[in-house]
Order: sequence, then structure tokens, then C-alpha cells
Amino acid sequence: MGMSLSRLTEKTNIWPWLLLAPLGIYMLVFFVVPLADVAIMSFTEPRVSFADYQKVLTGTLYQRVFVNTFATAAFVTLSCLAVGYPLAYLMAHSKPRTAMLILLLVTMSFWTSFLVRTYSWMVLLGNNGPLIAFLQMIGIEQPPQLLFTRFSSTLAMVHILAPYMIMNIYSVMKKIDPALIRSAESLGAKGWSLFRHVYLPLTAPGIANGSVLVFVICLGFYVTPVLLGSPREQMIAGLIGHQIEEFLAFGLGSAMAMVLLVVTLIILTIYHRRFGLDKLWG
Amino acid sequence: MNTFMRWAGFIVVLFIAAPLVIVVPMSLSNASSLQFPPPGYWLGYYRAYFTDPNWLVPTWNSILIATATTILTMALVVPATFALVRHRFRGKGFADLMMLMPMAVPHIVMAIGYYSYFGQLKLVHTHLGVILAHTCLSVPIAFLVLSANLKGFDRNLERAAQSLGASPTRTFLHITLPILRPGLIISSLFAFIQSFDETVVAIFISGRDAETLPRKMFDSIRQEADPVIAVISTLLFFAVLIGIAAPYFVGALRSRVPKPSRSAGAH
Amino acid sequence: MTSYLQLSNITKSYGHFTALDNVSLSVDKGEFVTFLGPSGSGKTTTLMIIAGFEKASGGAVEIGGQSISQLAPHQRNIGIVFQNYALFPHKTAVENVYFPLQMRGVNRSQGLRRAEDMLSLVGLKGFGHRHPKELSGGQQQRVALARALVFEPSLLLLDEPLGALDKNLREQMQIEIKRIQRSLGVTTIFVTHDQSEAMSMSDRIVVFEKGRIEQAAAPLDIYHRPRTAFVATFIGESNLIPATITNAMTKTADNPTLGPFDYAGGEALSDGQNVTLLIRPEHIKLSRNPIEGRKNVRMKVETIVNYGDNALVIGRAGELSMRVRVLGADVVIIKEGEECCISWTPEAVFVITK
Repeated sequence: MGMSLSRLTEKTNIWPWLLLAPLGIYMLVFFVVPLADVAIMSFTEPRVSFADYQKVLTGTLYQRVFVNTFATAAFVTLSCLAVGYPLAYLMAHSKPRTAMLILLLVTMSFWTSFLVRTYSWMVLLGNNGPLIAFLQMIGIEQPPQLLFTRFSSTLAMVHILAPYMIMNIYSVMKKIDPALIRSAESLGAKGWSLFRHVYLPLTAPGIANGSVLVFVICLGFYVTPVLLGSPREQMIAGLIGHQIEEFLAFGLGSAMAMVLLVVTLIILTIYHRRFGLDKLWG
Repeated sequence: MNTFMRWAGFIVVLFIAAPLVIVVPMSLSNASSLQFPPPGYWLGYYRAYFTDPNWLVPTWNSILIATATTILTMALVVPATFALVRHRFRGKGFADLMMLMPMAVPHIVMAIGYYSYFGQLKLVHTHLGVILAHTCLSVPIAFLVLSANLKGFDRNLERAAQSLGASPTRTFLHITLPILRPGLIISSLFAFIQSFDETVVAIFISGRDAETLPRKMFDSIRQEADPVIAVISTLLFFAVLIGIAAPYFVGALRSRVPKPSRSAGAH
Repeated sequence: MTSYLQLSNITKSYGHFTALDNVSLSVDKGEFVTFLGPSGSGKTTTLMIIAGFEKASGGAVEIGGQSISQLAPHQRNIGIVFQNYALFPHKTAVENVYFPLQMRGVNRSQGLRRAEDMLSLVGLKGFGHRHPKELSGGQQQRVALARALVFEPSLLLLDEPLGALDKNLREQMQIEIKRIQRSLGVTTIFVTHDQSEAMSMSDRIVVFEKGRIEQAAAPLDIYHRPRTAFVATFIGESNLIPATITNAMTKTADNPTLGPFDYAGGEALSDGQNVTLLIRPEHIKLSRNPIEGRKNVRMKVETIVNYGDNALVIGRAGELSMRVRVLGADVVIIKEGEECCISWTPEAVFVITK
């Protein structure tokens, strides 16, 4: 009615600008400028050139790290999906009490500092930890090194990021109208075909959401790969940090950071076009 | 299909739960290295945590920084959210997107930016520097929570208040603010946690003088794996547990009426 | 005659879209006026302009001879009941009712007592301590009404307040609102798109369409003497027959299918004028054979819709689709597909020129 129309065409007034100004200025000074600083450093440190970009984009070491990072992010995303889908299903289709307990667990995990969770995996996978002990118990004399490998950092990242996937899929699953499933059954779909043709497509938006979120976070993940991963198989964020902390190579670090940023933004832009960025975090 | 999903689900539950709870026995362990199951139990590492300034100072720093970050974030985000939810103007779509951008940029990228930029401003290794950086990172989450709340706010309530004789200011104080209180509390809480848990930027800019708890934990895990970490982890674990469970208990106590159970999907 | 509420040439436009076009209306003190019209007809916009939530592009609003156009909503002393009631969820029922008194500086104990009294008047004695979500829809409605009345407003505005209630409760609330309005004598404007609600409650109905007032008159006037074809179709059921005036003196008109017939009502008409004739379905009689002294037309029955106590017979007389309302007992005389005779007197025919 009239009311909604009025908001569409309300005369330009100064109020929104006044309300936005403090945050706008803040974001300009403490978000845009530091970010621009990275961009500028990437081709001015130590002198103006594109040498660092050339190095980052063509050097074997850097290419390997990029490939490694993408492969890890893809693998972690798929693993989160494999882990998260059944659990979300369980949450959406259990008795209220069971569902509530699982929800509590996932929420707990989500809100527990990922440093804590990283530490836990150090305990679990350590040489004096339960997993090694179990391997020895079942007769493996010389169990492989688990900690500080690609395996340990990947496993921990799956654990840390799975809640993002689970929450996204769960929120879609619980909105599925049971009548829809019943009507599909009445039309003759059952078992695998019911899942494949009805349930899976209905949950696809949750899968897309969760996957983009996990993939993007994983691309820029610093802490866990640095603490649990192999120093020889770094991911990009770790390498950036290494360049800055150890060598004060701001130019090189910034160039890598820009590549990481651009890739991340491309993925998020594609997502934004299709779904809207504000949907991503639920 | 169904049974398979259930079994897979229960295995996943174990996978998720085990790392969360393992810190509790570890914190009581008397071993000086990461040994599980612990050879013996004592409370020594709790005593160590509560008496060692190397741990207490970062804890205090984190609380201070997170509190200041929360206040600053809310002071900036609340008016901005009102502008973005309640008004339509040219450039609003862009402004909406800008609010979310700090979430889209990997923290390692921001960390380098702050490290270099704050270095020039002499803000590296200061509390203020960390607060300023954390506020920027807390803006998106506070905005998301608050804007969802404000979008659900029935503006007829404000119209009603005005028709009943309340000036715009009194309407805001008597009606808008009290009704938005839960949303404000939750978004403040999210801003606080975002700052309290933030690690990457803190590693690069907090230094020794403004060292935050996550930075201290990171360094400690990287260097020696001090068993005190298990104590902190346990404390954080219970803080989260209480934080999540408290609303349920409070809710259950306030209205003794049982909540309507959600219908479980049939099949 | 001095009116109490006076709207003069109110215009409201949003860019190129004109939401209200020169709306003028006078309302007497104590009158119960209903704004009736379809969605987007301008009735709610008019209400919001009176309340001060929308600014008119032109025109003036006066109450008791004083212009209120420049006053902010909170200075207007107008009570409003919103469609969704807009009860403050963080306040109890009695605190909700006390709120306008609180804003007017009435002290708490006295204010709460007055609020309780008002709740009693709307039939909610003893419900004061409850929060809105602990009240039923009808009870919330009553609280909203009490809150809008407790400060003795100079005007009461009701914006489709019964829309969310089910049918039985709605009828009960219609009676209740009317009773309270009469007992307090408050000038009331009621917005609705439900014509039966408008008919049963109002002293006067104002029909809105496309941002204009089509007609403002007492309910029965609106029903029997609609000024335009829109009013005739919007209120009640109607048969609208295009016709030409053949003789304005003898009051006869002609339709190509029905042939010549007489009419009674109508303003100054001239010969050869093209008009629309309104015949309400309940004014048409259905019979097997022609009845003497009435205009008789043959009709082929197509559909019979039974309502129990009455039935609607829809049929075709030549080119024209006709609707006839008959008593439930009478409907047995015909069947679908049969031919019958329909007839009316000149008094049943009203001439609409627009």
C-alpha cells in the first residue's frame, strides 16, 4: 500500500548520512587504508616494480604453495561435506531431544576457540596420544608420524570448519516440508532415488553456502596449518606470515596477500551475484 | 539410507565431541608433556595459570581489549544499522556490502596491513592498536545480528507510541531500545567473542606489551606446548558451555511452561 | 454546519504516482465514519495523513477548527488502533494502556488506576498484568482499543483492526467497538475493505477508489443510491445494465436486449443520455410466468448457488448475465438449465450516470 511506496521514494534526507558517517570514516581509516597499504606495498617494497608479483606467480615454490592451498581447501571442503551432511541429517530428523543435544554439541564446537581445538588435536595425534597408542595396540610396531603433517592439519581444519557446513545444511534441512517428502514417496520415489532427486536438490542451497564458506576460510587459514602442519608443506597464509615475520619481506608478503585476496573476492563475488553475501553467514 | 545416515551421524558426533572434551582431563594431568591418557592427576597447572603473570596479563589484556572493542563497535554499528535498515538512499547497496567486507578479507591480509600501517602510526604493540583493528573485524558480525533484529522490528510500535503522545526521543528510549535489547546484547556478545578469540591480527600487532590470550596461546603451542594451555582451554570450554546453556536454563526458570517441541520430520 | 474534522483538498503524490487526488471530507463530532475501498485506493494513506505519519503534498487537515497539518504525530492527540494492534511486547496490558498517560505526565498510581478502569470498560477486568503474547487476538484488540481511548483523544482511528480475527470474533468485536464508541462519543474513523463491516458499523461510509472519494453517504444511501458503477459493484451484489434514456419526463429507458422499461430513482437526466441501470439481485422476483404490473424478462437459469436460507440464481437474459437473490424456500421451483421469468418494479431500478 501507500506506506511501502513512500519508503521507496522518500526524499533524500540527511539523517542516514549522519548516522552512517562515524562508521564510514572509521572503515575508511582503519579498513580501506590498511588494505590499500598492502596493495601499495605489493609493488613498491622495497622499490617500485612488479618483480614480487612475477616471483609469486611464476616461482616454483610459490606455485607449489598455491596448488597445495587450493588442493587442501578443496579436500577440506569435501570432507566437511562428507562429515557434515549426515550429521545435519541426523539433527533434522531425530527426536527433538537428540536433535537438541547434537545442536548443542555443534554449537559448542563452533564457539570454542579454534586455538583450543587445534591444541586438542595436538594431544590426540601426539606421539604420546591416544591414536598412536591405539595403533600400537592393534600391532603396528612403528606407527607413522601423525603430528606436524599434512594429515594432522587437514584433519584439524575439517574439525574446526565442519560446524559452518553443518549449520548451513541443517538450517536448510529443517525447513524442508515433510509433506514434500511424503508426496514424493507417494509418487513412487524411494531410497536412493528419493534422496537423489528430491532431498539432495532441496538441500543444495545449504551445501553451496557451507562449501563456499568453508573453502574461503580454509584458503586464508593461518593458525592451524602453522601449528599442526608440516613446515615443508605450508599453505599460503602461513607462507605470507613467514615472509613477514622471518624476512620482513613486505613486498613479497603483500604480493602473495593480494593474490589470496583477489582469489577470495572472486569466489565471494560469484557467490554474491547468485545468493547475496549477507546470506553466507546465516 | 536412513540407518546409514544415522550411523554415519553418530560417528561424526564422536569426531566432533572428542577434541572438545579431551582438554578437561588434560588440564588435570600431572605430566609436563602432551600425554594421553594422563599418568596422574593434580591441580598444579590450574595454580600455575592463576598465579603466573605470563598468563594472567594476556588474559587481562584480552578482556580489556574485547570490552573496549565491543563498546566501540556498538557505538559505530548501532547508528549505521538504523541508517541502513530504515532508510533508502543512493549507494545503500554499496554501504551494505562494505559493512560485510572485513569478513570477506582473509585475516592474514589485514594483519600485514595493520602491521605496516600501525607501524607508521606508532600503534603497533599498543592496546589501542589492537582495539582499533578488532573493532573493524567485529563490525560485520555485529551488523548482521543487529540488522536482522531491526528488520524484524514492527515500526507500527513506534507509530503507536507517537500517536499515544511520545516524542521521537521518548519513543526511542521507551519503546525502540527496550524491544531491541536482546538483539543489542547478542550482537555485543558476538563482537566481544570475535575480539576475544581473534588470533592472526593479534599475533602480528599486539607484541609483548598488549599481548592477548590467543597470541600467548599460539606462541606457547608453537614453542613448548605448556600444559597450562589445557587449563585455559578447559576454562574456555566451560565458559562457552555456560554461555550456550544459560539462556535455556533462564528461559526454563522464567516460564515453567514447557517449550513446544519441534516436530521431527516424519520418515 | 460546522464540522469537527475537516479534510480540504488533500493531495499526496509519490513522484509521478498520485496516491490521493484532492480528497475533501467533513466529519461531525461523535460521528462514526468508515473509509471503505480496495487495497491501494488511498484510504490508509488518508488515515496516515490524518495521524501525521505521512505528509500530504497539498491540502489541510483541521480538527475543531485548528489546523493540525504542522503538528508532529505525538502532538496531535489522536488515538490509533493498528491492524496488528502494535501492543508493546515488553509491557503488560495495563502498562500498555498507562503509556499515553505516562507520556502526559499523569502520576503512576493514578494513571494505572485509570488504565485499569479503561480495561474494565473494554471487558478485560483482571487481565491487566498479562503481557500481550499471553492474550488472545480478541483480547489484544481490546487492549489496543483501551490504549487508544484512555487519554480521551480528539479522534479515534482504526486501521483495519478486525482483519486478523476469525469471523465470529469479528462480528462480536464489531458490536463491541460500536458500543464503546457510542458510550464515549468519540469521533471515529474506521478503515476497512470489508463492505459488510462498513455497512453494519458506520454512521457514514466514504468509498475510496484510485485516490479519490467516490461517494460519502449513509450506509443505506450508498447501497440504494450509489453514485457510480464502482460503488454499486463494490458494495453488495448488483446487476448493471447499460441503457439509454428514451424519455426523461416519463422516466423510461431502453436496453437492446431487455427492451423499454421504467425507472423511478435518478437525478436530472436528459433524453438520449447513456446511463447504467442498477437492479439489486434481491429486488428481482423469479417466477414461472410473467407477473402483471412488473417489467418481465425471460431468463435461462445457468447456475444456482445455495446458501441455505437463500440462494443466488445466475442466468442469462439475451446478452446479459443476471443475478437473482431468492429465498431458500423458493428456489425449489426451478432447476439449472430451465427457462423462467424474472421481474421487477420501476422502484427497483436506479439510474447511475457515471
